[in-house]
Amino acid sequence: MLASTLRHVFLALCILPGAISFKPHDFKTCSQSGFCRRGRGLAERAQAADKWVSPYSVDSGSLVFSPGKDSVKATVKSSLYPHINFELELRVHEDGVVRVRMDEVNGLRKRYDEAASWSLVGEPKLSKTVQWVHEKGQIRGLIGEIKDLEALISFSPLRVALIRNGREEVVLNGQGLLHMEHFRQKTFPVAEETESGEDAEPIAGDQTVLAAAGPDTRWFEGEREDAYWEEQFGSWTDSKPKGPESFSIDINFPSHGHVYGIPQHATRLALPSTAGEEPTYSDPYRLFNADVFEYLASSPVSLYGSIPLMHAHSAESTIAVLNLVGSETWIDIQYPSESSTNTHWISESGIIDIFLLPGPTASDVFQQYARLTGTPALPAEWSLGYHQCRWNYVDSNDVRDVQKRFDEEDMPLEVLWLDIEYSKDHKYFIWDEKSFPDPVEMVQDVEAIGRKMVVIVDPHLKRTNDYPVYKKASELQVLVKPASGEGEYEGWCWSGSSSWVDFFNPASWPWWQSLFKIEGDSDEWHWSKSTEGVFIWNDMNEPSVFNGPEISMPRDNIHYGGWEHRDVHNINGMLFQNQTSKALLARSTPAKRPFVLTRSFFAGSQRFGAMWTGDNMGTWEHMAIGVPMVLSNGIAGMTFSGADVGGFFGNPDPEMLVRWYQVGIFAPFFRAHAHIDTKRREPYLLEEPHKSIVRKFLKLRYAMLPVWYTAFREASVTGVPILRPQYVVLPKDKNGFAIDDQYYIGKGLLVKPVVAPGVSQISVYLGEDQVYYNYFDHQVYRGSAHGSNVSVPAALDQIPLLRRGGSIIATKERPRRSSPLMKNDPFTLTIALSNTGYAEGELYLDAGDDFSYQSGEIVWRRFTAEVFKSAKALSIRNADMVPGHQNDAVDGVSLTNYDRENAFARSIKDVRVERIALLGLPWKPKGVKSQAGVELDWTYAAGVASTGTKEGTASVLVIKNPPVTITGTWAITIQE
Amino acid sequence: MLPLPLLLTLALPVRAEPPHVFGVRPALAPLYTPISSKTPPTWKCLDGSLEIPFSAVNDDYCDCPDGSDEPGTSACPNTTFYCRNEGHLGAVIPSSRVRDGLCELECCDGSDEPEGLCLNKCEETGREYREQVEAERKLRKTGSKIRSTYIAHAQKEKKRLEKELVSIEAEIAERQAEVDKLKAHKEKTESISAATMELKKQSPLYFSLITHSKALKSFQRVHKKLKERERLLGDILTGLRDGYNPNYQDMAVLEAVRGWEAAEGLPPKGSEDDDVVVNSPAEEEELEEGAWTEGQLEWQLNDLINQDYLDLLLQHETYLESLEKPSLLHDLSSYIPDSIRPQYESVRDTLISTLQSVGLIKGGSNEVTEEANRARIAFEDAEKRLRESSENKEDTEQELGRLFSAEGFGKSGEWKKLQDVCLEKDTGEYIYEVCLFGSAKQKAKTGSHSNLGDFSHWNTQFSTDDPQYYSKQYYTGGTRCWNGPERSLTLHLSCGTENVLHSVSEPEKCEYHIVGQTPALCLPLEIEENPKVEL
Repeated sequence: MLASTLRHVFLALCILPGAISFKPHDFKTCSQSGFCRRGRGLAERAQAADKWVSPYSVDSGSLVFSPGKDSVKATVKSSLYPHINFELELRVHEDGVVRVRMDEVNGLRKRYDEAASWSLVGEPKLSKTVQWVHEKGQIRGLIGEIKDLEALISFSPLRVALIRNGREEVVLNGQGLLHMEHFRQKTFPVAEETESGEDAEPIAGDQTVLAAAGPDTRWFEGEREDAYWEEQFGSWTDSKPKGPESFSIDINFPSHGHVYGIPQHATRLALPSTAGEEPTYSDPYRLFNADVFEYLASSPVSLYGSIPLMHAHSAESTIAVLNLVGSETWIDIQYPSESSTNTHWISESGIIDIFLLPGPTASDVFQQYARLTGTPALPAEWSLGYHQCRWNYVDSNDVRDVQKRFDEEDMPLEVLWLDIEYSKDHKYFIWDEKSFPDPVEMVQDVEAIGRKMVVIVDPHLKRTNDYPVYKKASELQVLVKPASGEGEYEGWCWSGSSSWVDFFNPASWPWWQSLFKIEGDSDEWHWSKSTEGVFIWNDMNEPSVFNGPEISMPRDNIHYGGWEHRDVHNINGMLFQNQTSKALLARSTPAKRPFVLTRSFFAGSQRFGAMWTGDNMGTWEHMAIGVPMVLSNGIAGMTFSGADVGGFFGNPDPEMLVRWYQVGIFAPFFRAHAHIDTKRREPYLLEEPHKSIVRKFLKLRYAMLPVWYTAFREASVTGVPILRPQYVVLPKDKNGFAIDDQYYIGKGLLVKPVVAPGVSQISVYLGEDQVYYNYFDHQVYRGSAHGSNVSVPAALDQIPLLRRGGSIIATKERPRRSSPLMKNDPFTLTIALSNTGYAEGELYLDAGDDFSYQSGEIVWRRFTAEVFKSAKALSIRNADMVPGHQNDAVDGVSLTNYDRENAFARSIKDVRVERIALLGLPWKPKGVKSQAGVELDWTYAAGVASTGTKEGTASVLVIKNPPVTITGTWAITIQE
Repeated sequence: MLPLPLLLTLALPVRAEPPHVFGVRPALAPLYTPISSKTPPTWKCLDGSLEIPFSAVNDDYCDCPDGSDEPGTSACPNTTFYCRNEGHLGAVIPSSRVRDGLCELECCDGSDEPEGLCLNKCEETGREYREQVEAERKLRKTGSKIRSTYIAHAQKEKKRLEKELVSIEAEIAERQAEVDKLKAHKEKTESISAATMELKKQSPLYFSLITHSKALKSFQRVHKKLKERERLLGDILTGLRDGYNPNYQDMAVLEAVRGWEAAEGLPPKGSEDDDVVVNSPAEEEELEEGAWTEGQLEWQLNDLINQDYLDLLLQHETYLESLEKPSLLHDLSSYIPDSIRPQYESVRDTLISTLQSVGLIKGGSNEVTEEANRARIAFEDAEKRLRESSENKEDTEQELGRLFSAEGFGKSGEWKKLQDVCLEKDTGEYIYEVCLFGSAKQKAKTGSHSNLGDFSHWNTQFSTDDPQYYSKQYYTGGTRCWNGPERSLTLHLSCGTENVLHSVSEPEKCEYHIVGQTPALCLPLEIEENPKVEL
C-alpha cells in the first residue's frame, strides 16, 4: 500500500516533465505581440470594411531614375500623416529580380537598413536594359530581352506588381495592408481634468492631439495606441525606446495556388493556411529564432532559424519573394481559391526590402536566390559521411571505445562529436582535464582511421576572469550590451552567468578567428589543444538565454552601431557561424574546407555550413515531420540539412531507430544524436536483426557518397537543393504540388522514407510518364503523365528507393570504415534506361577537403547510354564534362585553364570502373565490346525492357571489370 | 590527411602462397582447388551457387553471391580476410579493411595492403604478445593462489554453518518441547478463565482503551506515511536542487528550487557554500506540560500501542480492588500494631482462603484470570523464542545455499570471502564505495551520499559455466535521479592480485560503471579461460 503510493508519486514526478513538453507560455502568440496584434487588426478592419483604400500613394512628380535607368525612386505619402515622408525605390537586377525598398526619410530616427548587408553575398548587378513607360497613374518597367516581364507601380493607391506575359505573378499592397509606422515622439496621456493647459502642451507628433487637427487615423490604425512604448511578456518588460516602428504588407499571388518556404517551422512543405476560411493554424507563421524546448510536430511556431523566402508555384510558373528583414516577422497565409494565394507579412522593425524573384522555373528561382544570398558552400566530402553524436561522450576513453565498437561491428563512421560536457564548467575550448586529459591524442586516435571530430562551441561566454575567452572579449568590448547601452549584458545559459559575443562588431572578428589557431601568438590565448581534425558545432545561437524573454535576449539589448537586438535578432545566429567558419578557414595553410554546424540561421547561412532541425523528439510524428522540414530548408538555400537520427529526446524502440537511420541516410546531413537523459543507442548496441539492417544502410550511404557529392557540386554552383521536392522536379504535375513525403535526390533517385510503424508496403507517387526501377531488386514501375501510385515493398529491411529511368549513377560498392579510405576504390556505374532507351548521369570528384578545385583540380564526368538504331547497338560513354562548362563547373570561378590531366585527376588515374550494370535493355546482346574492339566479360539476365508497358524485374546486363577507368574518356558498345 | 606509409625496403611482407589462396584461412585452403576437368579450369563458389572460371578467384571482382571467390581482396563486402602473420598468430579482419591504405594492427605481416606499404612487424608483435600472455599467466597464477584461499574459506564457512545448523536444530527441539508444555498449561488455565475474561472485556474502560489504541495505531500509520512522503519529496527536491540543470530552460524548475531553498533555509545554489545549511535548526516548539516530544513519538509510541491491554485491564482491576478493600477483613492490618502484624496476616490469609473455599466470600476471580494471563504470556514468549530459532535456521540454511551457488558466492564459493568487503575509488569530486554483495554508494566530499544500488545479480547474459558470468556484478535500485532513473551500478571485474577499483564512469545518466580487479576471478592455469575458437 505504502509502496504503491510511493510509486505513484514517483511516476507522477517522472512522467510529467516529459508529458508537458512544449511550453506554449514561453513563447508569444500573435495576440501577445503588440505589433502583430496591430498588423492583424489592420487586416481585420480591411476585411470588415465595405470600402478600403490604402492611404499610401506615390507622388508622381517625384519620380527620379538612376543614371543607368536600372532603378527609380519616388516619394510616398500616407494620407494619414501628410507631414511624414517615405521613399520608395524599385531596382531591376540583371537577372530580372525586382527589388522594392521603402524607408521613412528625414524621420525622427533611422530604421534598421543593414539586413541586406549581412545576408546578400554582394551588391546585385543591375539591369542595363529596362525600358520605363510612364503612363497616367502608373509607371511600367519592361524587363528582359523580350520584355516579357514587367514591373508595374501604380501611384494612387500605391501598388506594385510583377507581370509576366500580361499575367500578374505577384502583387504588393493589392489589398491595402501596407503600413510603415513612422517614428514619433512619445506622448504623455493628457489628463482630461487638467486645468493648467501649459503642462499638457503636446509634443509634436502627438497622435491624440493631431487626431483632432489632422486626418482621422482610427479607421486604419485602430482606436488606441496598442503597446507602442512598452510591452509586457511574462515577467519581462520590453522598454521599446523607439516606439512603434513595425511594418506590414500584403503580398499576393493571384495565379499561384501553392506556397512553400519561410523556414523553419514544423509543418508541411506546402504551407497550410493561417487565415481565411477554416485555417489550419490560428496563428500566423512566425519568424523569430527561438530555442523551443520539445517543439510540436505541427505548428506555425517559430523555431531556431528564419529565412524570409517564399516560393509560389503553379503549373505555369515558379516565382519567389524574399522579404529581407532581420526583426521578428509574422506571416498569414490564405488561399482565396485553388489557384491563388494571399499573404500578409508583419515585421517589428526595419525597412521594407523585398525581392521579387520572377522564375519562371524553380531552377531559375534557385539561381536567382543564389545570386542574391550565395550558393551553399561545397562541403568537405567527409562531412557527407555518418556523424555520431551524443550529449555526451563522457571522457576520452569513451570516445575511443565508441570508435572501437563501430570498427568491431564493421559499421562505417566518419565523425565523432562532443557536446558541451567536454568543457570545464562549460567554458568552451577549455577541456575538462579530469575526463579529457589527453584531447590531442584522443583526436589523433580518431584521425588515424581517416575520421574527424566535431566539438561544440557556443556563443555564451562564462563570466569569469579565469576564462581567457571571456576576459579578452570583455577587454575588447565586443560583448552585447544591456538596454542602457553601457557595460555587458548578463544572462543565464549552460555556463551559468554569461555574456554574449556581439558578432555585429567587426572588432570581434579577428579576435574570434585567432582563438581557433592551433599554433598561434604565444601571448594570446588560442586553442593549442586542438588539431586540424577538429571541426565546430555552433549551438544556442538564436541566441538562447535561459532566463530571457522567450528564452532569448531582451529586445532592447544593444548591439554594435547602437542597433537594438529587435532589429537584428534573426540575423544574429548567422554571424556566429560565419565567423566560426572563417576561423576554421584561417586555421590551416593551405586552407581546408571548414565544417560548422549551426542551429540558428538566416537567409545566406548556406554559405557557412550545415544546419540541423534542432531538438526533435524520438517519436514517429517527429520523424515524419523532419522530412518536409529538411525539404523546406533546402528550397530556401539551407540544403546541407538534416534532422537528428533517433530524435534528441526519448528512447526510440529498435524499429523506430532502424527507420530513423533510413531517413537519415537520405538526408544531406546525417547525424545521430541523443539527449543526456536517454539510454545509449549507438547502432552497434542494437540486437539482431536490427543491427545488421542498420549496418547495411550505413554502408549504402557510403556506397552512394559519390552521388551525394555530385549533387553538392551542383547545389554549390546553381543553388538547386540536394533533395528536390515533387513540384521542383515535375513542375507541371498538379497532383504532386502538395507531396512532401517523397523526394528526388539529385536527378536520378526517388526515395520515400518509411516514417510509421508496422509498414511492409508503401505507395509511391510517380508523376511522369517514365519507367522507374527499384534500387535493390530492379523491379520495374511505370508512372504516367497524369500521375500514378505504385506499391513498393517497404519491410523493415527495405527502403522504397527507386532509380528514375534515364539516369546513370556512379557508386562505390566497397564501403569502408570512413570515406577517405575509399579514395582509390573502383566505381560501379548503374544505368537505368528510360522508356525511350536513353540514360545520362554525371560524377564530380575532387580532393574533397581543400580548395584545389577552385583552380581546376577536378574530375567531372558525364556518362551517357544511347541506342543507335542504325547501328543496332547501344553505346555507353564516359566524357569529360568540363569543356563547355568552364564557367559553371565550380562556384565563383571560371576554369579557363582547366587541364584534364590535373594533379587531382592524376592522383586517381588508376581508379577503375569495376562494374557496369545496365537495367532495362530490351534485347539480349550479341556482344559487348570495348573501344578497341575487345569482347568484354559480361552476363545478361533476361527481364522487362525499359520501353513498353510490362512490369516485373528489369533485364540486367552486367559488364565485369571493363578495361576502363573513371577518369578516362571511353565508349563501350553493346550489340543487338 | 592519412598517415603516409613509410616505404622501407626492409621487412617487406612475404607473399609465398599461391594467389588464389591469398587471404584464405589455412583450414579452408584445400577448398580453393580448381576443377581441372574443365578447360579452362573452373571453381565452385563455396555455397555451391555458381561455377566460375578459376581465374576469377581473387581477381578483385565479386562473382559469388556468398563472396567466397574474393578471400584476398575487398571486392566482396561482408566477407573476411585472413592474414597469416607468420611468427605470430594468424588473424581475421573484415574484407572492408583490405587495401584501404591503413596497416591493420591485426595483420602484423602487412598482407592487408599492397606490398611495400606496411612493414612486417610480426616478429615484434609476436614477441610482445607472448610476453603479454606470460604476464597474464603469472598474474593468474598468483591470483589463483589467493582465490584458492577464498575457496578454502568458503569450505570452512560451510563447516561452521553446518555445525551451527546442528546446534540450532537441537535448540529448536528443546524450544518446541517448552512450547508444547506451556501451551498445555495455558489452555488449561484459559479454559477456567475464558468466561470471566469475556465478562471483564465488557468494561467500557477496556472498550475505550482498545478504541484509543486503534486510533493511535492508525495515527501512527498515517504519520509514518506522511513522514515517508515528506522525506521522499524532500529527497526529490534536494535531488532537483543538486542535479537540476539551470538549462532545462525551465523557470518552473528554478522556482521550485528557490522555494525549497527558502523552506529549508538553504543558501541559493551556486553561492559559495551551497551545501551548508544556514539556519536549519527547526524552531523549538513550546510543548504543553507532559506532551510528547517528536523523539518520544518516534521511539515510545510503539511501546504504548503494543501494550498487552488484557494484562492492563487485570492490573487495573487489581488496583481498584486494593482501593475498595478497606473492608475490615482485608485491611485490618493498618489498624494492627506493627509488632503483631505478621501473625495477624498469617491468620487472615488462612481465614480468607478458608472462607473463599467454602464460598462465604466472593473474590479471587482476578487471581484466576491473572494466572491464565501469566500462562499465556509465558507461552507466547516461548513461541517467540522458537520462531527465532526457526528463522535462524532458515537464515543459516539460506547462507549455506548461497555459499556454493552460481546466483550467490559462486559454484566454488570463491566469492564468500568478499562478502561485505568494501572497496573505494576516489575520483576527486566523489568517493565511490562498493561493499561487495551489499550496496554501493557515491559519497560526496561534502558529506552527502547517494545510494547506487544493492547487489542484484551476476552477468546473466552468459551461462553460469562461463567465466564471463562472474565478470560483472549488477547493483540496482539506488536513489532515484531527478528527471532520471534509479541509480544503478555495473561492476566490471577481471583477474588481479588485489581487490581494487580502478575507474568510474557514468556513460548514461545515473548508470555507473566501475572497473575493478579481484583474485576471485583468477582461475587456475589448468582451466582454459577463453576456449579458443578454431579460426
